[in-house]
Amino acid sequence: MTLLSDTRYVFIRYMRKLVRNPILLFFSLFQPILFLALFTQLLGRLSNFPGVLPVGVSYLEFAAAGILLQNAFGSALQSGNSIVADIDSGFLHKMLVTPMSRPAILLGRLASDAFRVVVQTAIILALAYGIGAAENSPFTVNTGVIGILLIFFTIAFFGLAWSGISLALGMKTRSAETVFAIGGVITFPLLFLSSALLPINFLPGWVQTVSKFNPVSYAVDACRVLMINGYDWGTILPAWGVIGLVAVITLGATLYQFRKVVS
Amino acid sequence: MSDIITVKNLVEVYSDGTKAVDDISFSVAEGEFFGFLGPNGAGKSTTIKILTTLLRKTSGTVTVAGFDVEKQAAAIRRIIGVQSQDTTVDGDLTGRENIMLQGHFHQMKTDEIKKRVNELLKLVGLEEAAEKRARNYSGGMKKRLDLATALVHKPKILFLDEPTTGLDPQSRSAIWTYLEKLNREEGITIFLTTQYLEEADKLCKRLSIIDKGKIVASGSPAELKREIGADSIRISLENCKKDNAKAKELIKTLNDVNEIIDSEECLTVFAKNAGLLIADIVRALDSSDIRIASVTFSSPSLDDVFIKHTGKRIRTEELVKAPSAMLGGRR
Ligand SMILES: Nc1ncnc2c1ncn2[C@@H]1O[C@H](COP(=O)(O)OP(=O)(O)O)[C@@H](O)[C@H]1O
Ligand SMILES: [Mg+2]
Repeated sequence: MTLLSDTRYVFIRYMRKLVRNPILLFFSLFQPILFLALFTQLLGRLSNFPGVLPVGVSYLEFAAAGILLQNAFGSALQSGNSIVADIDSGFLHKMLVTPMSRPAILLGRLASDAFRVVVQTAIILALAYGIGAAENSPFTVNTGVIGILLIFFTIAFFGLAWSGISLALGMKTRSAETVFAIGGVITFPLLFLSSALLPINFLPGWVQTVSKFNPVSYAVDACRVLMINGYDWGTILPAWGVIGLVAVITLGATLYQFRKVVS
Repeated sequence: MSDIITVKNLVEVYSDGTKAVDDISFSVAEGEFFGFLGPNGAGKSTTIKILTTLLRKTSGTVTVAGFDVEKQAAAIRRIIGVQSQDTTVDGDLTGRENIMLQGHFHQMKTDEIKKRVNELLKLVGLEEAAEKRARNYSGGMKKRLDLATALVHKPKILFLDEPTTGLDPQSRSAIWTYLEKLNREEGITIFLTTQYLEEADKLCKRLSIIDKGKIVASGSPAELKREIGADSIRISLENCKKDNAKAKELIKTLNDVNEIIDSEECLTVFAKNAGLLIADIVRALDSSDIRIASVTFSSPSLDDVFIKHTGKRIRTEELVKAPSAMLGGRR
């Protein structure tokens, strides 16, 4: 099956590029880690005020899910750059003159995005655990190993949906700067107008309304219940549904742009 | 020999209205070394992109190895090797990894690729640099690696878009050597584009001169030059003053002489087939006791051909780029 083997080779190529450019990994991890450290310091006392956070939940435990999402945003945005680089350098054409499976070009890229975001998620969770231990307010994932795997899945799934936006933009505009600019403009409001970093009932009314329509809130809530509460499928399944919907739209746009680039 | 590439009435109009290729027709025989010679913007890369299934033509008929370039693109991709104008090696991968990857994309078996990679690294002289990242290669090494990646699956037809542009003379002649070898020993059909007269002249058995999207002349380098009309034979005599007039009289009577003029050396004779005429001239002068100091002849160059058909000189950047290549040729 050439689709699978070609996907594998594209995946390996991107993985090699990633580990050989550790600076890229560093930069995309830098922001979420900064936020993790900064926000838990700045807002750590929120748990002292009754009724803001759920009882017995530290701000670190609360915000970790939001930071994971932020990280997913950041690495997904680099996906579009990679395709712009391959178009500019002519490497895409080099692949296209071979009989290789065309969808494998996209699938390999998406697989490498997913793998990468899972590794970064693991790093952030480990860091959160470290911060929790240092501050004497333990950070754990209550659902254990299975829960962590489900978090990986949710974050990777969300990351793919977001890679779709940057890939489509990259192929449409052929400009890495534009991908970053537009990506940044979309990302920040989505993150802050959601339940990612602050408890929803703490936010002004209009933000609560926006938040209800914000896919980020759904993904965050799913990860958060897995960390804090347990297998609350009533929160997890709708989140997957919403992410799936976003993915259909963004990956559809990606496929549409890809067809145009390829033909 | 049968035609392995046929192009009839090919037109390419880009979406912004640029007519990059304007109704060209040509064919390339199996095993031939064929060239497209033309200046920047002539339409060379556009033509190569259509032939290699990367770009849809606006109109015309194009077949490669008997396959229709659009309807049977997949079949064509299996048997062609392509080196595009931009050097497209992945700088994060080593030389060996770059070739391996291309082999995988051609669905070759891993063992088979490994063997082939060693052969190719040897062919292009990159054995020692094989495990280094391509990012650190010089411009010439990158081009050679790019050529190797295009050859991994033993293509029947090799498309090369300006394979030596921007290279120093040494790298260029190394590439010429591999290409001649591939064509001669392995019978690979080669379609090459170039801006360099010297390159077209040296490598191509047949070529088309392309300018502003149109083919203005086609033929072997020798045929094209012959079209210009005359070679020149420069004769210097031991006693030019004394023998000049008499020598002219003698040469004038020979066949195929177009014109005789006085020149720096003494006399310059323009003639259709200088090679044949030289013997006659030497014999005629000798039998009249006119002593010859030297005879040289030169054929018209492709530059003359280009000027004749387009009214301008093809801009040659020949050795200008050498210094940057010495600095490592990095971008
Ligand atoms: N994608 C494109 N869109 C519009 N015009 C193009 C495009 N690519 C090339 N051209 C134009 O088509 C003409 C031929 O270009 P090209 O085939 O690259 O020439 P060459 O390879 O001989 O230098 C040029 O005028 C060039 O500017
Ligand atoms: Mg070109």
